[in-house]
Formats: sequence, C-alpha cells, structure tokens
Amino acid sequence: MHPLRHPRNAALVGILFVVIGVVFWAVPAFGGWHVDYAGTTMLIFLGAAMALMAYVLVAGSSKE
Amino acid sequence: MATTALTPAASAYRSGLYAWLTTTDHKKIGIMYLINSFVFFFIAGLMVLAVRAELAQPGLQFVNDSTYNELFSMHATLMIFVFIIPVLAGFANYIVPLQVGAPDMAFPRINALSFWMLPLAGVLLLLGFVTGGAAAAGWTSYPPLSEDRPLAAIGSGQDLWIVGLVLIGTSSILGAINFLVTIFKMRAPGMTLFRMPILVWTVLVTSVLVLMATPVITSALIMLFIDRNYGGAFFDPRVGGDPILYQNVFWFYSHPAVYVMVLPAMGMISEILPVFSRKPLFGYKAFVFATAGIGALGFSVWAHHMFTTGAVYLPFFSLMTFLIAVPTGVKMFNWIFTMWRGQLTLATPLLFALGFLSMFLIGGINGAFSASVPVDFALHDTYWVVAHLHYVLFGGSVFGVMAGFYFYFPKMTGRMLNETVGKLQFVLMFIGFNLTFFPMHELGLAGMPRRIADYASAAGWNDLNLLATIGGFTIAASMIPFLWNVFVSLRSGAVAGDDPWEANTLEWATSSPPPPYNFDHLPEIRSERPLFDLRHGRTAGH
Amino acid sequence: MTTDSHALVPAEHNPIAGLAHDARGGISNPVLGMLLFITSEVMFFGGLFAAYFSVRANAPQWPPEEFRETLQILPLVGPATILLILSSFTCQFAVWSIRRDDRTAFLRNMTVTVALGVTFLLMQATDYVTLGSEGLTLSSGTFGTTYYTLTGFHGAHVFGGVIMLSVVLYRGMAGQFSSRHHDAVEGASLYWHFVDVVWILLFSLLYLLPGR
Repeated sequence: MHPLRHPRNAALVGILFVVIGVVFWAVPAFGGWHVDYAGTTMLIFLGAAMALMAYVLVAGSSKE
Repeated sequence: MATTALTPAASAYRSGLYAWLTTTDHKKIGIMYLINSFVFFFIAGLMVLAVRAELAQPGLQFVNDSTYNELFSMHATLMIFVFIIPVLAGFANYIVPLQVGAPDMAFPRINALSFWMLPLAGVLLLLGFVTGGAAAAGWTSYPPLSEDRPLAAIGSGQDLWIVGLVLIGTSSILGAINFLVTIFKMRAPGMTLFRMPILVWTVLVTSVLVLMATPVITSALIMLFIDRNYGGAFFDPRVGGDPILYQNVFWFYSHPAVYVMVLPAMGMISEILPVFSRKPLFGYKAFVFATAGIGALGFSVWAHHMFTTGAVYLPFFSLMTFLIAVPTGVKMFNWIFTMWRGQLTLATPLLFALGFLSMFLIGGINGAFSASVPVDFALHDTYWVVAHLHYVLFGGSVFGVMAGFYFYFPKMTGRMLNETVGKLQFVLMFIGFNLTFFPMHELGLAGMPRRIADYASAAGWNDLNLLATIGGFTIAASMIPFLWNVFVSLRSGAVAGDDPWEANTLEWATSSPPPPYNFDHLPEIRSERPLFDLRHGRTAGH
Repeated sequence: MTTDSHALVPAEHNPIAGLAHDARGGISNPVLGMLLFITSEVMFFGGLFAAYFSVRANAPQWPPEEFRETLQILPLVGPATILLILSSFTCQFAVWSIRRDDRTAFLRNMTVTVALGVTFLLMQATDYVTLGSEGLTLSSGTFGTTYYTLTGFHGAHVFGGVIMLSVVLYRGMAGQFSSRHHDAVEGASLYWHFVDVVWILLFSLLYLLPGR
C-alpha cells in the first residue's frame, strides 16, 4: 500500500501536534518562564483529535 | 461537450415555496446559502456605511458612542459569521458533489438543518438591536468589557450574540462532517484523491479546520455565557479568573477561521484561472500540499493576535506566522504561472480573479509586517490592522466570491450574467475598495486606533478618513450594477448551456442547472480535468 | 446509503475492521460521520480543559481552602464511575450481539446500558445537590465554576447519549436492526464510549490528581 494510504501514517499529522504541544509546555517549563497551560492543552487535544480524524478518514475510505 | 437528455432548466426553480423550504437537494440548499449570505452582506454593509459616514469628519454627527460600538461590532460579526463563512459553504455545497460526481451530499437532511440554522442565528444576532442594545464589545467580545453588565449588556444583545454564534458554529461543524464524508466516500470511480479538483481539496482542508477549531470557540462562548449569567469565574479577575484566558481560547479558533474564510475562495480562483487561461493549473500537487500546510500552520499562530498582552511566547508565534507566508507564496506563484503564456479571456470571472490575486498579495505583505513583534507592538489595534484584514477578507475572499459568482451563476441558473455590467461592477468595486482601505495603512502608521467613534481634528487624520468614506460609498455604488445584473439576467439573460466557459471539471458535464440527481452519466475520469480530456479525446494518465 | 456489514468476516489487524463496511470497502457513511462528530466533541472538551488547567495553575491554592474536603469519591461519584464504565461494556456487548443477529441479547444489553446511563445521571444530580448544600456552586469562584462546567457539560453529553441509546433501543424493539443493517447502533455505541472516556479523564483530573 502506498505510504500515503496507510491510516497509521495519516495519523502522524495529529501526533505532530501532540509533540508541538509537549514542546510548547516543556520549553517554558524548563526554561523558567511562564507556561501557557491553555495553549498546551488545546494543542495536545488538537493532536489527538486530528490523529483520530485522519486515521478514520483514510482507513474508512473506499478501497479505490 | 456532454449534454444530457433530460433538461429540467428553469422549471426546477419554479417549484413552489414548500419545495424550497423542505428541500434536501444540495443545489437548492447551496442557492439558499448564497441568498441568505448576501442578505446579511447587505445588512452588514449598511451598518458600515453608517460607521464610515460617522468617521468622515471629526465630531459625532450621526450616531452616539454606544450605537457606534454596536454598529462596528455587528458589522464584523455578520460579515464573518453570516456572510463570508456561509457563502463559501454555499458554493461548496453546490459545487463539491457535482465536482466529485456524486448525486448529493452524504447527509442531505443534516445539510438542510445546517442551512436553516443560519437565518435563525442571523435574526437572533440582530434581535439585540430591538431588545435594548446589540452586542457592542467588538466582534471579539473580550472580557471584562463583554462581561460588564451595565456597559456591554444594556439589553441582552451580548447573550443573543453568544447564542447566535453557537448556532452558527454547530451549523458549520455539521457541514464540515458532511463535506468530509462526501469527499472521502462518494467520489465517482476513477477519481482518486489526486484527481480531485482543487476546489474540493480546499473544501477538504477547510472542513478539517472547521471540525477541529469551531468547537473551541463554542467552549469559549459558553464560558463567557456562564460568566455573564451564572456568576462564573472563568474570565473575571475579581474572583480569580483571567481575561487573557478568553483571548487564548477565542483565537485558537479565530485564527484557523481566517483560513476557513479564504481557502474555498482560493479553490474557486484555482478553477477559474485554468479555464480563462486555457492552461492546466500549474503545480497541482504543490498546490495540494501548500493548502494542507496552510491548514496545519494555521493552528500554530493564534497568539499573534495577543502579542501585546505580555502573556505570549513571542518568538514561537512570530516565527510560525512568518512561515505561513511560504505555502501562501507557493500558491501565488502557481496561480501566476498558470496564466503565464496562457490565452487569457478577460471575462468578468477572470477580472475578479486578478483582483483577488493582487489584493490578497497586498494583504499578505502587510500581514508579514505585523508578524514582526516590534512592528506589531506599534500597530496592534490601529487602522493598519483594519487595512490588513480587509485586504485579505475583502480583497481576497469577497473578490474570490464575486469571481465564483460570475463563474457559477450560469451553471446554477442556466443564464449568463451580463458581461458589460459585470465589468462595470468590477471597476467600481476595485476602485472603491482601494480608495477605502489603502489610506488605512497610513492612518494606522499615523497612530489612529481602531474602534473609535470620533477623533480629534488636530490629529491629522481628517483627509484620509474622508477619502476612505468616499471609497466606502463607491463600493456601495458597485452593488447597484451587481443587483441589476442578477435580477435582469435571471429573467432574460442569455441561455447558458451545459458548459459556457469550456471548462475542465465534472460540474460542466451536465445541464445548467443540473437535474436533481446531477448526472445522467459520467465521463471517464483519468485526470483532474475529466471534461477537458473528454473534449480532446485524450486518455490522459496521471 | 445501504451498508453490507460482514459480521462473520474475520477482523483484520485493524481497529475499525469490525465496523459496518459498505460495498466499496469503506466504513459506512453514518458511522464515519459519527466518528468525525466525536473528534469535534474532543475539541470542545479540549477548550474546557484548557480553561481548567489555566485557571488551576493561576490559583494560589488548589483546591481552595474552603473546598479542600468537598469533592469526595464516595458514596456517589466512585460508584457512578464504575456504573458508567460497566455501561460501556454492556453497550459493546449489544453491538456484538446485533452483529451476530442475536436480537434478544442486543435488546437486553441495550436496555441495561440505558438503565445504567440513567442511573449515572441520577447519581450525578444527587451529588450536585449535596455539593450545593456544602456551599459549592457555579459561582463559587474558579473552583466551583470549573467543576460544574466540566461535569455539567459531560452530564449533558451523557443525557444526549441516553436519548440516542433510547431511540436505538426503541428501533431495536421495533425490529429495525439486523446484522446487515445496524449503523445507528454502531454510531450510538461509539458516542457512548467517547462519553465514558471523557468521564474517566474528568474523574481522574477532578478527583484523583493531587492538589497544589
């Protein structure tokens, strides 16, 4: 199957946002300045939601 | 050119009121979206004419401070939520099933529900004017102002505003689900993802943005409602809340929202340019990836609206904001190279498309200035931002909507719009638009703040404000040929036929307007230009 | 769109293989639609959680002094949680039953699921009354506002889920479902599992996470 067709790979875009969210928390947390908890939470939730969405869209598409 | 045996033509639209009120046909629903959107476009336009009339000269001549606040707040709210987002959803609703070769959207009844929530929400929003005061804290409704009961809620306008927006958000989310299932599950055989028209790709990415981001503003609005009505403590510092929290959650939606407001327009431009240049779209795959890139990056820049709060990690958001220029630039070059060495037909759709390209470019450039933190510190909440947002949303999206309107009117109604009148509208609109908004760059640099009803005569802003007002009324004047064109062409415009523009995609392979079931039969799909291939007897591989 | 759910086809190593598939091999439109709706609901709760974490981090003390002992797992919330988790199991049993065309088991399991859902709501409501009498309300500063908003919107989603499952139960009793046509069951059960997962997250955050 072409890599772009594999549902697991589609979910990567969501995982990317989870990673960005973690970095968004970690850099200020270990750097010693103000942590934006709201932004961190929204980015991580976005990653989870996007991963789920991308997975079901690709996995659930017609086999064409 | 494909013609179909059954040609329902105009009789499809002579169906009674009941048929329209109860329809689940995506074509009728799409047209209703357009009509509803333009009604609110005119209402919001009238509001801003009052704003511009007031600002033409120093001194309060026509309205008082609080009415002024209601006017600019509701102008923006209506334009964003009841005009531009739904009008693009309406075009998408009409065109996407046709372009993918489907008989309708995946969930036709939910499609109808999505539409009908909009006129209701629009009425709720406007009801504030008669219940003692519409929302007047800006379309952004920041607390503490939006929670300050005596000031921002003379009546219940702010609460009606919240409810109206939650309704619209729900309508959008349901629409996004509908588009995604339609695009992923109902494409005609042979139409792989990379053979879909670009408009379908832009609607796909837009739907992802709507699905992911809109619920977040719903949560912000609900928290605002709880604070206002149930003594909540989310954003009220007196009880431990944080006003900046609202801005954070609000902009997490509202930034991706601006891409929702422009991507489908870009999709329509990407359909129009190849047709009127007689050349395929340059760089199809790059375009797809650029669109996806804009969607993804669009989620990482929201706090650039909050640079001046002191609560933002500035380097991250500034860098991400600059980065978005890259995929946008890719698209610009693709559009330009599509036209390069093409055979251009300067019909009205192409004129508006050219207007889109040039005006959106200016909006992108002045946005890039704002991405720089020190520059933004000086220009935040000045007329520079008003200039930027109107160059991208009006110069970009509205010109794109007009281009799409002239391009798709024949398909939707079976009639051509008058070309001469169309060109007159374009000239008036283009001149009026630039007269209105270009001076605002200077006004912003000269320090004129946003959202003020009046200004001191000694500030030196008088002439540019007067110029902007003249421009505003010129835009209003351009609506006269537009409306004339629509109503006269509906009655006696030239008959359009299936494919008046010699276009490339499936929607032109059926009658104008299409029959209820869309297609009698579909041409073979071997590329992103199935009609072009059919016409030229090609078996174009991809 | 009619679906053709091959309940007896062995599941591939694919979490969604069991879901109703249509003739062209994708999952059915209504089920896909429900999954996408669920992702949007994840984002809705994301906004509320974002507010919660932000508000919590800004508070000098969490829970605030006057509410140190207010949130208690027993006697209501802990058992309610167990019942909700149980209801997810019975819901999934109902789905497996109808995939096998076992309508009796489907109806039985679905009835239990609805009953458990209603019980959860009643226990939640009772807990609210108790908390109210102890002085915790929506306007009790950031602690009260976030507690009631988060649990309240979760409760609203449970309520919606109960309605959905009741409609499914009613349609099931009217004989509208079979192993080949039961999209509504699949969709409703996915939503119910989601509601359960959100509660597990909420419960852990509100009751199990140590304070500051």
